[in-house]
Amino acid sequence: MSITSSGQAYHNNLVGPVMRAGDLATAIIEAAKLDNPGKEVFVDDKRAYIRIHTEHEMVLYRETIEEELGRPFKMNDLEVDLSSFAGQIESGDNSVRFYFSKKV
Amino acid sequence: MALLNRMDWYDLARTTNWSPKYVTEDELFPPLMSGAFGLPQNAWEKYDEPYKQTYPEYVKVQRDKDAGAYSVKAALERSRIFENADPGWKSVMKAHYGAIARGEYAAASAEARMMRFSKAPGMRNMSTLGCLDEVRHGQMQLYFPHEHVSKDRQMDWAFKAYDTNEWGMIAARHFFDDIMMTRDAISVSIMLTFSFETGFTNMQFLGLAADAAEAGDHTFANLISSIQTDESRHAQIGGPALKVLIENGQKAEAQKRVDIAVWGAWKLFSVLTGPIMDYYTPLEHRKQSFKEFMEEWIVAQFERALTDMGLDLPWYWDIFLKDIAETHHGMHMGSYFWRPTVWWNPAAGVTPDERAWLEEKYPGWNDTWGQCWDVIIDNVVDGNMAMAYPETLPYVCNMCQLPILGTPGKKWNVKDYPLEYNGRLYHFGSEVDRWCFEQEPERYAGHLSIVDRFLAGMIQPMDLGGALAYMNLAPGECGDDAHNYAWAEVYRALRATKKAS
Repeated sequence: MSITSSGQAYHNNLVGPVMRAGDLATAIIEAAKLDNPGKEVFVDDKRAYIRIHTEHEMVLYRETIEEELGRPFKMNDLEVDLSSFAGQIESGDNSVRFYFSKKV
Repeated sequence: MALLNRMDWYDLARTTNWSPKYVTEDELFPPLMSGAFGLPQNAWEKYDEPYKQTYPEYVKVQRDKDAGAYSVKAALERSRIFENADPGWKSVMKAHYGAIARGEYAAASAEARMMRFSKAPGMRNMSTLGCLDEVRHGQMQLYFPHEHVSKDRQMDWAFKAYDTNEWGMIAARHFFDDIMMTRDAISVSIMLTFSFETGFTNMQFLGLAADAAEAGDHTFANLISSIQTDESRHAQIGGPALKVLIENGQKAEAQKRVDIAVWGAWKLFSVLTGPIMDYYTPLEHRKQSFKEFMEEWIVAQFERALTDMGLDLPWYWDIFLKDIAETHHGMHMGSYFWRPTVWWNPAAGVTPDERAWLEEKYPGWNDTWGQCWDVIIDNVVDGNMAMAYPETLPYVCNMCQLPILGTPGKKWNVKDYPLEYNGRLYHFGSEVDRWCFEQEPERYAGHLSIVDRFLAGMIQPMDLGGALAYMNLAPGECGDDAHNYAWAEVYRALRATKKAS
């Protein structure tokens, strides 16, 4: 691999959580699909962590995650398995948003 | 009684700035500690942390995290993972715990400085939680290795390393002291939380967790990925500070701090994380190469986020992209060759199968690093062990404190980047290391590298024994080949086959 290919990795607009594997990650994958209609959800499972990404912006709603988990869920409980994330984050009581402000 | 939603009261609850009447603002927030960049309190009140958390939520979430990490440890304690692990993997654990565990306490102190001295109320709140996070990381990463201390003396370095003058620790301390122990609150938020934690900690705590999971070490994988869930929150302390600085015309100062911290982190990871991912982790358990992890976490994720915040790619971007395929191979060869001077047993990682993997991941490896390894391998196969150990000192960079190295072979390019400052001649391993030093020479000028100390007669007697004593490496702790050279058998067999034909 050359310098060019390393440099190419920079040119992406993927945002979204990097989760520890488990039932929450599974619920987030489903919620990402439901809460971001029309967007392709990219899932990259590295066993110890799972990248769940969409282009440019991803919103996750507390209610959707709750339905997918089948149990009550507070938005900030996401942190238990949120190891990292791509893009910027905006956290609220009932949703979390990952986004880039600029496209490359 | 119904509880208010967090966002109904969060902004009010963290409005904790006031106008001091009995002291001046500079006495309440000394610029040296607060790093206000000439901005008054009210400019910092615009600081809005994007990843919000309150203390009651924090306690609940952290309790859940600890319950998870400790229960996995308890469940797997009797599975003899450590006893049965490949010696290369044990070295991964030893290097990790020694280089990191005690640094977590230092990070707690840095978080505490933001907690007290930042003029931004939101930052004070988030770093209160961040400080508790770092205490957690220190405690866990001392507690988890402790069960192995009775089985292996080198595991004791999880606690011991940080207090020693072992060369790798001098380099690690030099970097961490620079970005977090000797900087004002705002600079800490930029250099430690933003530059180091949103970027590089992912390499060590998630990239390595992926390798750990493949190696079957789920206790370790679970521990370090749990730690990273704290990091992903408190790493966000720096972002809004960058935004305030950029809005107030301080982009150049912010950019400079990011560029210094990213370069220092890169150099440290090239000696710590590069070798363990590409050489120590057993071949069948390597999830990706070090370079691929760097591309994933640093190039695609961190640098992309950095420019989204309004900063530029570092001026040394092209040098960095070239180096992520090269530097760590030299660092590995150096730490293997000088193996008595580390607290773990380096795995050579150069069997024919491993070399094929290296050649695939780093085309040209055999024509460059491979040539040097051929000589080491021949000496080991011939039983010429005296030649497989060093006789001289490496040249050490006065910025990163790591050996000055280049890529061997036809394009041999090792070069010293010297600088004379106040009558003393300094040596640097790259243009970037020298640039970092030049940004604030008086900050670094008084430091002596391990080689400077040797030449100044501070290490006596001036031989390997004296050096090991200076580094606090006792017999039984000094590193040697992780597999006791068993890997050389395949080369012995190859030579025998060749002779027979």
